[in-house]
Amino acid sequence: MDVSDLRKNAKLKIDGHPYVVTEFQFVKPGKGQGLYKCKIKNMITGSTMDRTWRSGEKLEAADVETKKMQFLFRTPDAFTFMDKETYEQLEVPEAVVGQDSDFLLDSMDVEVLIYERRAVGITLPSHLVMEITECEPGVKGDTATNVTKGAKIETGLEVQVPLFIKQGDNIKIDTRTRSYVERVNK
Amino acid sequence: MSAPAWSRRVALWDEALAAVRSYFRGAGAREVSTPVRVAAPAIEPYIEPITAPPGGYLATSPELAMKRLLCRGSGSIFQISHVFRRAELGRHHAEEFHLLEWYRVGEARYDAVQRDVEAVVAAVFALAGRAPPRRWVRRDFFDLFEETTGVTLTGSEDVAGLIAGLGAGAAARWLPLAARWRERGGGPADPELARLLAWTELFTTWSDEHLPGWLDRQRAQGAGGVHVDAFPEVLAALAERERADGRAIARRFESHVLGVELANGYRELRDAQEQRRRFERVNALRQWHGQPALPLANDFLHDLESPGLPPCAGVALGLDRLLMLATGASSLAEISLALGSPVPAG
Repeated sequence: MDVSDLRKNAKLKIDGHPYVVTEFQFVKPGKGQGLYKCKIKNMITGSTMDRTWRSGEKLEAADVETKKMQFLFRTPDAFTFMDKETYEQLEVPEAVVGQDSDFLLDSMDVEVLIYERRAVGITLPSHLVMEITECEPGVKGDTATNVTKGAKIETGLEVQVPLFIKQGDNIKIDTRTRSYVERVNK
Repeated sequence: MSAPAWSRRVALWDEALAAVRSYFRGAGAREVSTPVRVAAPAIEPYIEPITAPPGGYLATSPELAMKRLLCRGSGSIFQISHVFRRAELGRHHAEEFHLLEWYRVGEARYDAVQRDVEAVVAAVFALAGRAPPRRWVRRDFFDLFEETTGVTLTGSEDVAGLIAGLGAGAAARWLPLAARWRERGGGPADPELARLLAWTELFTTWSDEHLPGWLDRQRAQGAGGVHVDAFPEVLAALAERERADGRAIARRFESHVLGVELANGYRELRDAQEQRRRFERVNALRQWHGQPALPLANDFLHDLESPGLPPCAGVALGLDRLLMLATGASSLAEISLALGSPVPAG
C-alpha cells in the first residue's frame, strides 16, 4: 500500500508485526513531501509508538482481522474457540491466551485476533461477572475500609475482595487490571 | 473558538469573495475563469491529481491555463478556482479547495505581488473582525535556514555536498532517502534528479521541525506575517532562477500567516526549454517514486515558446485557509460550506 492510503485504523505490517494506526495527522509543507504522522499500536503486545512516513514511501498492509468467537474447551496445550458466524473451530495456543486463561469459562464470548491466518491474541470483555466459589465468611458492616481478603472465583482464580463479600456472591471484575469492581445482583 | 454558524459562514464567504474581487479589480486585474477539467495538469512531485474520466484530470491549480491567457495578452488577471489534490486530508488540507491565483504583468512585479498577499490578508481579516498581522517580515530562505539550524548552505550543493554540509551524522534524519542511497546505493542515476529529491527532503524536514518554532517567535514579536523568500534553485518549481550573493536561488517565496503556510509566489519562468526540462525531471522523480508519469502540457509549452509569456509575477493563495485564520478557526472544516457526507477520498 501507498502512504497516501494511511488512515486512522489502517492495519500495517512492520518488521513482521501487525500494527493499527490509532492517531493520524497529515501535514505538508508547500510543494514538499506529505508527512503522515501516525501513532501506531502493536496489535499483539499493545505497545504504541510514533512514526512519520513521507510521500512516496511504501508500506505493507497487515493481513489481520478480529473475529467474535466462543470458548469451547481446553486441551493440554491449547484452547479451542468457535467462530460464531461460521461455526468453524480454531485452536489458540496456550502461549497466545496467556494469563487471560484465568478468566475463560465455557461458552464465553471473546475477540480473537487473526494475523496471517494464525491466532495471535485474544481480547476478553473488559468486565466479567463471576461467582465467588470459595472465601472466608463475610463481615457485616465493614464496607468503607480498604481491607481485603482473598477469594476464589468460579474459574479458580484468586482475587482480592472487600471483607463483606461472601461465598455465592457475584462480583464484577475488570479483566484488564484483574481486580474487583463491585458486587452485583445476578 | 467553535465553528461559525451556517448563516455566518455563508456571509463570510460572500463578503470574502466580494472583498477579493474588489481588491484585484481596484488593482487593475481582470477576473478569469478557466476550465476545471484539464488534459494535462501542472506536473508536481508530491501533488497527485484526481483523474476525470474518460481522460483528463481535475486541475490541481489554474496556473498553466492562466499563463496561456497571459501569453495571449490578457494583461494582469486573477481567478478564484476550485482545485483538487488527491489524498490531502487534514486540519489544513482538503482534497478540494479554493485557490486564489493572480498574475501581475510587467517587469519587477515580484515585490508587488507580495504586497498583494498582505493586502488580501488584511482585507479578509478585517471583514471577519479579527486584527490582521501587525507586521510582515521577509527573510531569505538561506538566512533563515542558517539562523534556525546553524548550517550554511548556498543552493549549489549536490547530494554529497548537502550531506557534508549537514554533517554525516545528521544527514539520515534530514534526508532519510538520500542518506540511505549513500549507504546502500539505489538512488536515481540522474544526479540532478537525486539532487531534486534530496533538497525536497531537506525542505520538508526543515519546514516540519525548524520553521514552526521560528514562525511562533516572530508571531510573539508581532510579526504574524512572514514571506520566506529566495528559495533554493532546485526548488524553483515554476519560478525563475538566478545567482545572487553567491547563492543559487529561485525567485520564489512562500507566505505564512500566524504560523500557517498560506501562499506561494514566483517571478514566473518564461524559458520554454527550461520549463520542459523541469517538467520532465519531475515526471522522472514521480516515476522513481512509483507514481504515474503525467502527460506533458505541450500546449502550454508551445505557448511559452510563442507567443511567449510576458514578464510577470504570480501567486497562489489558499482562500479556505485564509478564512480559517481570519475567523480564528483551527480547521478548514469549521469554515467550509460543504454540507452532508464527505465525498469518498480519492
